[in-house]
Amino acid sequence: MELTPDSIIVFELWGFAVNATILNTWIIMALLTGVSMLITRNLRPDVPPNRWRTMLEVIVLGIQGQIEEISRHSSKYLLYFSGTLFIFIVTSNLLMVVPGFDPPTASLSTTAALALSVLVAVPMFGISSRGLWGYLRTYLEPTAIMLPFNIISEITRGISLAIRLYGNVMSGAMIAAILLGVAPFFFPVAMDMLGLLTGLVQAYIFAVLATVYISAAIAEPKNNNKPKENQ
Amino acid sequence: MSVDWITVIAQIANLLVLIWLLKRFLYRPILDGIDAREAEIADRMTAATQAREQAENVEAGYHEQVEIFRAGESAMTDTTRQQAEVEREALLADAQVRIDTERKDWTTHLQHEEQKYMSELHRVGGKALLSLTRKALGDLSDETLEERVVAHIDTKFIPMAQELRHEAGEGAEIIASTRDPLSKTAQDKLLVKLQQIVPGLKLIFDTDANQSPGLILRMGGAEVAWTLDTYIEGLDTLLQEHLASESGMNVGADNGH
Repeated sequence: MELTPDSIIVFELWGFAVNATILNTWIIMALLTGVSMLITRNLRPDVPPNRWRTMLEVIVLGIQGQIEEISRHSSKYLLYFSGTLFIFIVTSNLLMVVPGFDPPTASLSTTAALALSVLVAVPMFGISSRGLWGYLRTYLEPTAIMLPFNIISEITRGISLAIRLYGNVMSGAMIAAILLGVAPFFFPVAMDMLGLLTGLVQAYIFAVLATVYISAAIAEPKNNNKPKENQ
Repeated sequence: MSVDWITVIAQIANLLVLIWLLKRFLYRPILDGIDAREAEIADRMTAATQAREQAENVEAGYHEQVEIFRAGESAMTDTTRQQAEVEREALLADAQVRIDTERKDWTTHLQHEEQKYMSELHRVGGKALLSLTRKALGDLSDETLEERVVAHIDTKFIPMAQELRHEAGEGAEIIASTRDPLSKTAQDKLLVKLQQIVPGLKLIFDTDANQSPGLILRMGGAEVAWTLDTYIEGLDTLLQEHLASESGMNVGADNGH
Protein backbone atom coordinates (compact mmCIF):
# COMPACT_ATOMS: atom_id res chain seq x y z
CA MET A 1 0.00 0.00 0.00
CA GLU A 2 1.33 3.40 -1.02
CA LEU A 3 1.20 6.09 1.66
CA THR A 4 1.34 8.87 -0.91
CA PRO A 5 0.24 9.10 -4.51
CA ASP A 6 3.52 10.82 -5.30
CA SER A 7 5.12 7.43 -5.76
CA ILE A 8 2.62 6.41 -8.41
CA ILE A 9 4.01 7.50 -11.74
CA VAL A 10 1.26 7.59 -14.25
CA PHE A 11 3.11 8.73 -17.32
CA GLU A 12 6.02 10.85 -18.43
CA LEU A 13 5.66 14.12 -20.27
CA TRP A 14 8.72 15.52 -21.98
CA GLY A 15 10.92 13.58 -19.55
CA PHE A 16 8.94 14.79 -16.58
CA ALA A 17 7.35 12.03 -14.51
CA VAL A 18 3.72 12.87 -13.94
CA ASN A 19 2.63 11.16 -10.77
CA ALA A 20 -0.92 10.52 -9.52
CA THR A 21 -0.84 13.63 -7.33
CA ILE A 22 -0.23 15.95 -10.23
CA LEU A 23 -2.56 14.09 -12.57
CA ASN A 24 -5.40 14.07 -10.05
CA THR A 25 -4.75 17.74 -9.38
CA TRP A 26 -5.14 18.44 -13.06
CA ILE A 27 -8.32 16.40 -13.10
CA ILE A 28 -9.69 18.46 -10.23
CA MET A 29 -8.60 21.67 -11.95
CA ALA A 30 -10.27 20.58 -15.17
CA LEU A 31 -13.39 19.57 -13.30
CA LEU A 32 -13.65 22.85 -11.41
CA THR A 33 -12.87 24.95 -14.44
CA GLY A 34 -15.21 23.00 -16.68
CA VAL A 35 -18.10 23.18 -14.24
CA SER A 36 -17.50 26.89 -13.69
CA MET A 37 -17.35 27.58 -17.41
CA LEU A 38 -20.44 25.48 -18.01
CA ILE A 39 -22.50 27.24 -15.40
CA THR A 40 -21.28 30.80 -15.94
CA ARG A 41 -21.05 30.74 -19.76
CA ASN A 42 -24.25 32.69 -20.39
CA LEU A 43 -24.59 35.00 -17.48
CA ARG A 44 -27.02 37.82 -18.08
CA PRO A 45 -28.32 40.13 -15.40
CA ASP A 46 -31.85 40.13 -16.80
CA VAL A 47 -32.09 36.32 -16.77
CA PRO A 48 -33.00 34.77 -13.43
CA PRO A 49 -30.23 32.43 -12.19
CA ASN A 50 -30.78 28.72 -12.54
CA ARG A 51 -30.21 26.28 -9.71
CA TRP A 52 -26.54 25.58 -10.62
CA ARG A 53 -25.69 29.22 -10.85
CA THR A 54 -27.51 29.79 -7.59
CA MET A 55 -25.45 27.00 -6.03
CA LEU A 56 -22.21 28.63 -7.22
CA GLU A 57 -23.40 32.02 -5.97
CA VAL A 58 -24.20 30.52 -2.60
CA ILE A 59 -20.75 28.94 -2.41
CA VAL A 60 -18.89 32.07 -3.53
CA LEU A 61 -20.94 34.39 -1.34
CA GLY A 62 -20.58 31.99 1.58
CA ILE A 63 -16.82 32.00 1.20
CA GLN A 64 -16.82 35.78 0.83
CA GLY A 65 -18.98 36.15 3.91
CA GLN A 66 -16.68 33.93 5.95
CA ILE A 67 -13.63 35.88 4.79
CA GLU A 68 -15.26 39.22 5.64
CA GLU A 69 -16.29 37.86 9.00
CA ILE A 70 -12.73 36.77 9.76
CA SER A 71 -10.74 39.60 8.23
CA ARG A 72 -13.28 42.37 8.93
CA HIS A 73 -12.80 43.75 5.48
CA SER A 74 -13.54 42.69 1.93
CA SER A 75 -10.75 41.77 -0.45
CA LYS A 76 -11.19 40.15 -3.80
CA TYR A 77 -7.64 38.83 -3.83
CA LEU A 78 -8.17 37.16 -0.49
CA LEU A 79 -11.33 35.64 -1.90
CA TYR A 80 -9.46 34.34 -4.92
CA PHE A 81 -6.72 32.83 -2.78
CA SER A 82 -8.60 31.45 0.22
CA GLY A 83 -11.63 30.53 -1.83
CA THR A 84 -9.51 28.58 -4.30
CA LEU A 85 -7.73 26.82 -1.45
CA PHE A 86 -11.08 25.81 0.07
CA ILE A 87 -12.64 24.73 -3.19
CA PHE A 88 -9.58 22.78 -4.25
CA ILE A 89 -9.15 21.02 -0.92
CA VAL A 90 -12.81 20.24 -0.44
CA THR A 91 -13.13 18.89 -4.00
CA SER A 92 -10.05 16.82 -3.54
CA ASN A 93 -11.24 15.45 -0.22
CA LEU A 94 -14.75 14.71 -1.50
CA LEU A 95 -13.35 12.84 -4.52
CA MET A 96 -11.70 10.52 -2.02
CA VAL A 97 -14.83 8.39 -2.23
CA VAL A 98 -14.29 7.78 -5.94
CA PRO A 99 -12.72 4.32 -6.25
CA GLY A 100 -9.17 4.46 -7.58
CA PHE A 101 -8.91 8.20 -7.11
CA ASP A 102 -6.11 9.21 -4.79
CA PRO A 103 -6.88 12.67 -3.48
CA PRO A 104 -3.98 15.05 -4.04
CA THR A 105 -4.42 16.35 -0.52
CA ALA A 106 -3.39 12.90 0.70
CA SER A 107 0.07 13.80 -0.59
CA LEU A 108 2.40 15.62 1.74
CA SER A 109 3.86 17.33 -1.30
CA THR A 110 0.51 18.86 -2.11
CA THR A 111 -0.22 19.99 1.44
CA ALA A 112 3.35 21.30 1.69
CA ALA A 113 2.80 23.18 -1.54
CA LEU A 114 -0.42 24.63 -0.20
CA ALA A 115 1.26 25.54 3.09
CA LEU A 116 4.17 27.13 1.26
CA SER A 117 1.69 29.08 -0.82
CA VAL A 118 0.11 30.35 2.37
CA LEU A 119 3.52 31.14 3.82
CA VAL A 120 4.36 33.17 0.75
CA ALA A 121 0.92 34.72 0.48
CA VAL A 122 0.95 36.02 4.06
CA PRO A 123 3.93 38.36 3.60
CA MET A 124 2.75 39.30 0.13
CA PHE A 125 -0.66 40.38 1.39
CA GLY A 126 0.99 42.01 4.41
CA ILE A 127 3.46 43.95 2.32
CA SER A 128 0.79 44.99 -0.15
CA SER A 129 -1.31 46.22 2.72
CA ARG A 130 1.25 47.73 5.09
CA GLY A 131 4.30 48.16 2.93
CA LEU A 132 7.57 46.27 3.28
CA TRP A 133 8.82 47.92 6.48
CA GLY A 134 5.42 47.95 8.02
CA TYR A 135 5.15 44.25 7.52
CA LEU A 136 8.66 43.44 8.69
CA ARG A 137 8.04 45.50 11.79
CA THR A 138 5.35 43.01 12.81
CA TYR A 139 8.12 40.50 13.48
CA LEU A 140 9.50 42.84 16.12
CA GLU A 141 6.24 43.13 17.95
CA PRO A 142 5.63 43.45 20.73
CA THR A 143 9.46 43.68 21.26
CA ALA A 144 12.52 42.91 19.21
CA ILE A 145 13.23 39.95 21.45
CA MET A 146 10.23 38.26 19.87
CA LEU A 147 11.82 38.27 16.40
CA PRO A 148 13.14 34.66 16.48
CA PHE A 149 9.94 33.46 18.07
CA ASN A 150 7.84 35.18 15.45
CA ILE A 151 9.96 33.64 12.70
CA ILE A 152 9.67 30.21 14.28
CA SER A 153 5.95 30.75 14.69
CA GLU A 154 5.67 31.67 11.02
CA ILE A 155 7.48 28.52 9.94
CA THR A 156 5.77 26.17 12.37
CA ARG A 157 2.30 27.27 11.49
CA GLY A 158 3.07 26.55 7.85
CA ILE A 159 4.33 23.15 8.80
CA SER A 160 1.31 22.55 11.01
CA LEU A 161 -1.00 23.52 8.17
CA ALA A 162 0.67 21.05 5.85
CA ILE A 163 0.97 18.19 8.34
CA ARG A 164 -2.57 18.61 9.68
CA LEU A 165 -4.21 18.44 6.30
CA TYR A 166 -1.94 15.70 5.04
CA GLY A 167 -2.34 13.64 8.21
CA ASN A 168 -6.11 13.85 8.26
CA VAL A 169 -6.65 13.11 4.60
CA MET A 170 -3.97 10.48 4.32
CA SER A 171 -5.14 8.77 7.49
CA GLY A 172 -8.71 8.81 6.32
CA ALA A 173 -7.77 7.27 2.99
CA MET A 174 -5.52 4.73 4.69
CA ILE A 175 -8.16 3.73 7.21
CA ALA A 176 -10.71 3.32 4.45
CA ALA A 177 -8.24 1.16 2.50
CA ILE A 178 -7.38 -0.98 5.52
CA LEU A 179 -11.02 -1.46 6.50
CA LEU A 180 -11.82 -2.36 2.93
CA GLY A 181 -9.49 -5.27 3.34
CA VAL A 182 -10.78 -6.28 6.77
CA ALA A 183 -14.52 -5.72 6.45
CA PRO A 184 -15.26 -5.03 2.81
CA PHE A 185 -18.86 -3.87 3.06
CA PHE A 186 -20.08 -1.85 6.01
CA PHE A 187 -17.09 -0.23 7.66
CA PRO A 188 -15.54 1.28 4.54
CA VAL A 189 -18.82 2.96 3.73
CA ALA A 190 -19.13 4.37 7.21
CA MET A 191 -15.50 5.47 7.24
CA ASP A 192 -15.84 7.02 3.81
CA MET A 193 -18.85 9.02 5.02
CA LEU A 194 -16.84 10.07 8.04
CA GLY A 195 -13.95 10.85 5.70
CA LEU A 196 -16.23 13.14 3.68
CA LEU A 197 -17.12 15.03 6.82
CA THR A 198 -13.49 15.12 7.94
CA GLY A 199 -12.37 16.29 4.52
CA LEU A 200 -14.95 19.07 4.53
CA VAL A 201 -13.92 20.17 8.02
CA GLN A 202 -10.23 20.02 7.14
CA ALA A 203 -10.77 22.11 4.03
CA TYR A 204 -12.67 24.62 6.10
CA ILE A 205 -9.95 24.66 8.77
CA PHE A 206 -7.15 25.07 6.23
CA ALA A 207 -8.90 27.89 4.41
CA VAL A 208 -9.94 29.63 7.63
CA LEU A 209 -6.44 29.41 9.10
CA ALA A 210 -4.93 30.73 5.88
CA THR A 211 -7.40 33.60 5.96
CA VAL A 212 -6.64 34.27 9.61
CA TYR A 213 -2.91 34.39 8.94
CA ILE A 214 -3.33 36.68 5.99
CA SER A 215 -5.84 38.83 7.86
CA ALA A 216 -3.42 39.17 10.74
CA ALA A 217 -0.76 40.26 8.30
CA ILE A 218 -2.91 42.88 6.63
CA ALA A 219 -4.63 44.09 9.79
CA GLU A 220 -3.93 47.70 10.72
CA PRO A 221 -1.67 47.79 13.80
CA LYS A 222 -2.94 49.38 16.99
CA ASN A 223 -1.13 52.65 17.56
CA ASN A 224 0.14 52.05 21.09
CA ASN A 225 2.70 54.88 20.88
CA LYS A 226 0.17 57.51 20.11
CA PRO A 227 -0.27 58.73 23.73
CA LYS A 228 3.51 58.99 24.09
CA GLU A 229 3.73 61.00 20.87
CA ASN A 230 1.12 63.26 22.18
CA GLN A 231 3.10 63.75 25.32
CA MET B 1 6.38 10.08 4.42
CA SER B 2 8.53 12.26 2.22
CA VAL B 3 8.14 15.43 0.24
CA ASP B 4 8.71 15.36 -3.49
CA TRP B 5 9.86 18.88 -4.11
CA ILE B 6 9.26 18.66 -7.81
CA THR B 7 5.69 17.76 -7.04
CA VAL B 8 5.59 20.58 -4.53
CA ILE B 9 6.69 23.06 -7.16
CA ALA B 10 4.26 21.59 -9.65
CA GLN B 11 1.43 21.79 -7.15
CA ILE B 12 2.28 25.41 -6.35
CA ALA B 13 2.14 26.13 -10.07
CA ASN B 14 -1.07 24.17 -10.34
CA LEU B 15 -2.54 26.17 -7.46
CA LEU B 16 -1.60 29.44 -9.09
CA VAL B 17 -3.09 28.31 -12.37
CA LEU B 18 -6.23 27.14 -10.59
CA ILE B 19 -6.49 30.48 -8.83
CA TRP B 20 -6.30 32.23 -12.19
CA LEU B 21 -8.75 29.82 -13.79
CA LEU B 22 -11.29 30.14 -11.01
CA LYS B 23 -10.85 33.88 -10.95
CA ARG B 24 -11.46 33.94 -14.69
CA PHE B 25 -14.31 31.45 -14.91
CA LEU B 26 -15.89 31.42 -11.47
CA TYR B 27 -15.35 34.40 -9.20
CA ARG B 28 -15.49 37.20 -11.69
CA PRO B 29 -18.55 35.96 -13.62
CA ILE B 30 -20.37 35.18 -10.42
CA LEU B 31 -19.44 38.44 -8.68
CA ASP B 32 -20.00 40.47 -11.81
CA GLY B 33 -23.34 38.76 -12.30
CA ILE B 34 -24.29 39.50 -8.72
CA ASP B 35 -23.15 43.11 -9.09
CA ALA B 36 -25.05 43.45 -12.36
CA ARG B 37 -28.13 41.92 -10.82
CA GLU B 38 -27.83 44.17 -7.80
CA ALA B 39 -27.41 47.13 -10.12
CA GLU B 40 -30.42 46.03 -12.09
CA ILE B 41 -32.37 45.55 -8.86
CA ALA B 42 -31.23 48.99 -7.75
CA ASP B 43 -32.34 50.39 -11.12
CA ARG B 44 -35.64 48.63 -10.78
CA MET B 45 -35.99 49.87 -7.24
CA THR B 46 -35.23 53.37 -8.44
CA ALA B 47 -37.71 52.98 -11.28
CA ALA B 48 -40.22 51.52 -8.85
CA THR B 49 -39.63 54.41 -6.46
CA GLN B 50 -40.11 56.88 -9.29
CA ALA B 51 -43.18 55.02 -10.46
CA ARG B 52 -44.47 55.03 -6.92
CA GLU B 53 -43.81 58.75 -6.57
CA GLN B 54 -45.53 59.29 -9.90
CA ALA B 55 -48.42 57.13 -8.79
CA GLU B 56 -48.59 59.06 -5.51
CA ASN B 57 -48.63 62.31 -7.47
CA VAL B 58 -51.38 60.94 -9.67
CA GLU B 59 -53.22 59.75 -6.60
CA ALA B 60 -52.83 63.17 -4.98
CA GLY B 61 -54.12 64.79 -8.17
CA TYR B 62 -56.97 62.34 -8.22
CA HIS B 63 -57.84 63.10 -4.62
CA GLU B 64 -57.65 66.80 -5.41
CA GLN B 65 -59.99 66.30 -8.35
CA VAL B 66 -62.31 64.28 -6.15
CA GLU B 67 -62.30 67.06 -3.56
CA ILE B 68 -63.06 69.61 -6.27
CA PHE B 69 -65.83 67.44 -7.62
CA ARG B 70 -67.19 66.92 -4.14
CA ALA B 71 -67.12 70.65 -3.47
CA GLY B 72 -68.85 71.27 -6.81
CA GLU B 73 -71.28 68.51 -6.08
CA SER B 74 -72.07 70.03 -2.71
CA ALA B 75 -72.60 73.48 -4.22
CA MET B 76 -74.68 71.98 -7.00
CA THR B 77 -76.70 70.05 -4.47
CA ASP B 78 -77.28 73.20 -2.43
CA THR B 79 -78.31 75.13 -5.54
CA THR B 80 -80.58 72.34 -6.65
CA ARG B 81 -82.05 72.07 -3.18
CA GLN B 82 -82.69 75.82 -3.10
CA GLN B 83 -84.24 75.70 -6.56
CA ALA B 84 -86.35 72.76 -5.52
CA GLU B 85 -87.39 74.66 -2.40
CA VAL B 86 -88.37 77.69 -4.46
CA GLU B 87 -90.18 75.47 -6.94
CA ARG B 88 -91.88 73.68 -4.10
CA GLU B 89 -92.97 76.96 -2.56
CA ALA B 90 -94.27 78.14 -5.92
CA LEU B 91 -96.10 74.88 -6.51
CA LEU B 92 -97.53 74.99 -3.01
CA ALA B 93 -98.67 78.57 -3.52
CA ASP B 94 -100.17 77.67 -6.88
CA ALA B 95 -101.82 74.62 -5.36
CA GLN B 96 -103.11 76.75 -2.50
CA VAL B 97 -104.56 79.23 -4.97
CA ARG B 98 -106.13 76.39 -6.92
CA ILE B 99 -107.48 74.85 -3.77
CA ASP B 100 -108.90 78.19 -2.67
CA THR B 101 -110.43 78.73 -6.09
CA GLU B 102 -111.82 75.23 -6.19
CA ARG B 103 -113.06 75.56 -2.65
CA LYS B 104 -114.72 78.84 -3.57
CA ASP B 105 -116.19 77.29 -6.69
CA TRP B 106 -117.25 74.31 -4.70
CA THR B 107 -118.81 76.52 -2.05
CA THR B 108 -120.60 78.49 -4.74
CA HIS B 109 -121.64 75.26 -6.37
CA LEU B 110 -122.86 73.96 -3.06
CA GLN B 111 -124.78 77.15 -2.45
CA HIS B 112 -126.26 76.93 -5.93
CA GLU B 113 -127.11 73.34 -5.33
CA GLU B 114 -128.58 74.28 -2.01
CA GLN B 115 -130.60 77.04 -3.58
CA LYS B 116 -131.55 74.75 -6.38
CA TYR B 117 -132.52 72.13 -3.90
CA MET B 118 -134.44 74.63 -1.82
CA SER B 119 -136.12 75.96 -4.94
CA GLU B 120 -136.96 72.42 -6.00
CA LEU B 121 -138.10 71.70 -2.51
CA HIS B 122 -140.27 74.80 -2.55
CA ARG B 123 -141.55 73.94 -5.95
CA VAL B 124 -142.29 70.35 -5.00
CA GLY B 125 -143.75 71.61 -1.73
CA GLY B 126 -145.91 74.04 -3.66
CA LYS B 127 -146.99 71.30 -6.02
CA ALA B 128 -147.71 69.04 -3.12
CA LEU B 129 -149.61 71.84 -1.48
CA LEU B 130 -151.55 72.46 -4.66
CA SER B 131 -152.21 68.80 -5.11
CA LEU B 132 -153.28 68.39 -1.53
CA THR B 133 -155.43 71.50 -1.77
CA ARG B 134 -156.89 70.30 -5.02
CA LYS B 135 -157.54 66.90 -3.58
CA ALA B 136 -158.96 68.32 -0.38
CA LEU B 137 -161.22 70.72 -2.19
CA GLY B 138 -162.21 68.08 -4.75
CA ASP B 139 -162.99 65.64 -2.02
CA LEU B 140 -164.97 68.20 -0.11
CA SER B 141 -166.79 69.67 -3.14
CA ASP B 142 -170.17 68.39 -4.32
CA GLU B 143 -173.17 69.59 -6.37
CA THR B 144 -173.78 72.23 -3.73
CA LEU B 145 -170.49 73.87 -4.79
CA GLU B 146 -171.54 73.99 -8.41
CA GLU B 147 -174.98 75.29 -7.46
CA ARG B 148 -173.19 77.96 -5.35
CA VAL B 149 -171.17 78.80 -8.41
CA VAL B 150 -174.30 79.15 -10.44
CA ALA B 151 -175.87 81.28 -7.68
CA HIS B 152 -173.05 83.74 -7.84
CA ILE B 153 -172.34 83.56 -11.56
CA ASP B 154 -173.52 87.07 -12.16
CA THR B 155 -170.88 88.54 -9.81
CA LYS B 156 -168.24 86.64 -11.72
CA PHE B 157 -169.39 87.28 -15.27
CA ILE B 158 -170.74 90.83 -14.96
CA PRO B 159 -167.23 92.39 -15.18
CA MET B 160 -166.68 90.51 -18.41
CA ALA B 161 -170.23 90.86 -19.80
CA GLN B 162 -169.04 93.06 -22.63
CA GLU B 163 -166.46 90.52 -23.73
CA LEU B 164 -168.89 87.62 -23.40
CA ARG B 165 -171.46 89.40 -25.55
CA HIS B 166 -168.81 90.16 -28.10
CA GLU B 167 -167.64 86.53 -28.19
CA ALA B 168 -171.09 84.97 -28.15
CA GLY B 169 -173.03 87.38 -30.37
CA GLU B 170 -176.78 87.40 -30.83
CA GLY B 171 -178.46 83.93 -30.54
CA ALA B 172 -175.22 82.24 -29.66
CA GLU B 173 -174.94 78.76 -28.27
CA ILE B 174 -173.26 78.41 -24.93
CA ILE B 175 -172.30 75.07 -23.42
CA ALA B 176 -172.32 74.99 -19.62
CA SER B 177 -170.11 72.11 -18.45
CA THR B 178 -170.08 70.80 -14.86
CA ARG B 179 -168.66 67.67 -13.23
CA ASP B 180 -172.03 66.75 -11.73
CA PRO B 181 -175.40 67.40 -13.33
CA LEU B 182 -177.00 70.65 -12.19
CA SER B 183 -180.41 70.63 -10.64
CA LYS B 184 -183.32 72.00 -12.64
CA THR B 185 -183.50 75.01 -10.38
CA ALA B 186 -179.81 75.73 -10.83
CA GLN B 187 -180.12 75.26 -14.59
CA ASP B 188 -183.01 77.73 -14.76
CA LYS B 189 -181.23 80.19 -12.54
CA LEU B 190 -178.12 79.96 -14.73
CA LEU B 191 -180.13 80.42 -17.88
CA VAL B 192 -181.84 83.54 -16.47
CA LYS B 193 -178.60 85.10 -15.33
CA LEU B 194 -176.80 84.41 -18.61
CA GLN B 195 -179.67 85.80 -20.68
CA GLN B 196 -179.38 88.98 -18.63
CA ILE B 197 -175.79 89.27 -19.83
CA VAL B 198 -176.19 87.81 -23.29
CA PRO B 199 -179.79 88.10 -24.39
CA GLY B 200 -181.19 85.42 -26.68
CA LEU B 201 -178.52 82.85 -26.04
CA LYS B 202 -179.12 79.15 -26.31
CA LEU B 203 -177.78 77.27 -23.28
CA ILE B 204 -176.76 73.60 -23.42
CA PHE B 205 -175.89 71.73 -20.21
CA ASP B 206 -173.18 69.18 -20.22
CA THR B 207 -171.31 67.08 -17.60
CA ASP B 208 -167.67 65.88 -17.54
CA ALA B 209 -166.59 63.51 -14.78
CA ASN B 210 -162.95 64.47 -15.37
CA GLN B 211 -163.60 68.12 -15.00
CA SER B 212 -162.68 70.05 -11.88
CA PRO B 213 -165.65 70.94 -9.71
CA GLY B 214 -167.17 74.23 -10.89
CA LEU B 215 -168.60 75.71 -14.06
CA ILE B 216 -167.08 76.09 -17.51
CA LEU B 217 -168.83 78.09 -20.22
CA ARG B 218 -167.76 77.48 -23.84
CA MET B 219 -168.93 79.84 -26.54
CA GLY B 220 -167.41 79.47 -29.95
CA GLY B 221 -163.67 79.40 -29.52
CA ALA B 222 -163.83 81.10 -26.10
CA GLU B 223 -164.02 79.48 -22.75
CA VAL B 224 -164.77 80.95 -19.32
CA ALA B 225 -164.13 78.76 -16.30
CA TRP B 226 -164.98 79.18 -12.63
CA THR B 227 -163.72 76.00 -11.09
CA LEU B 228 -161.50 74.80 -8.27
CA ASP B 229 -158.64 74.59 -10.76
CA THR B 230 -159.05 78.28 -11.34
CA TYR B 231 -158.31 78.92 -7.67
CA ILE B 232 -155.49 76.34 -7.56
CA GLU B 233 -153.89 77.95 -10.57
CA GLY B 234 -154.12 81.29 -8.87
CA LEU B 235 -152.44 79.81 -5.80
CA ASP B 236 -149.80 78.27 -8.03
CA THR B 237 -149.12 81.59 -9.65
CA LEU B 238 -148.73 83.20 -6.27
CA LEU B 239 -146.30 80.48 -5.13
CA GLN B 240 -144.24 80.78 -8.32
CA GLU B 241 -144.02 84.52 -7.94
CA HIS B 242 -142.98 84.11 -4.30
CA LEU B 243 -140.25 81.50 -5.14
CA ALA B 244 -139.00 83.66 -8.00
CA SER B 245 -138.72 86.69 -5.76
CA GLU B 246 -136.96 84.60 -3.03
CA SER B 247 -134.42 83.14 -5.51
CA GLY B 248 -133.64 86.62 -6.76
CA MET B 249 -132.98 87.71 -3.21
CA ASN B 250 -130.65 84.73 -2.48
CA VAL B 251 -128.61 85.28 -5.66
CA GLY B 252 -128.26 88.92 -4.79
CA ALA B 253 -127.15 87.97 -1.27
CA ASP B 254 -124.49 85.47 -2.65
CA ASN B 255 -123.10 88.01 -5.07
CA GLY B 256 -122.91 90.40 -2.19
CA HIS B 257 -120.60 87.86 -0.35
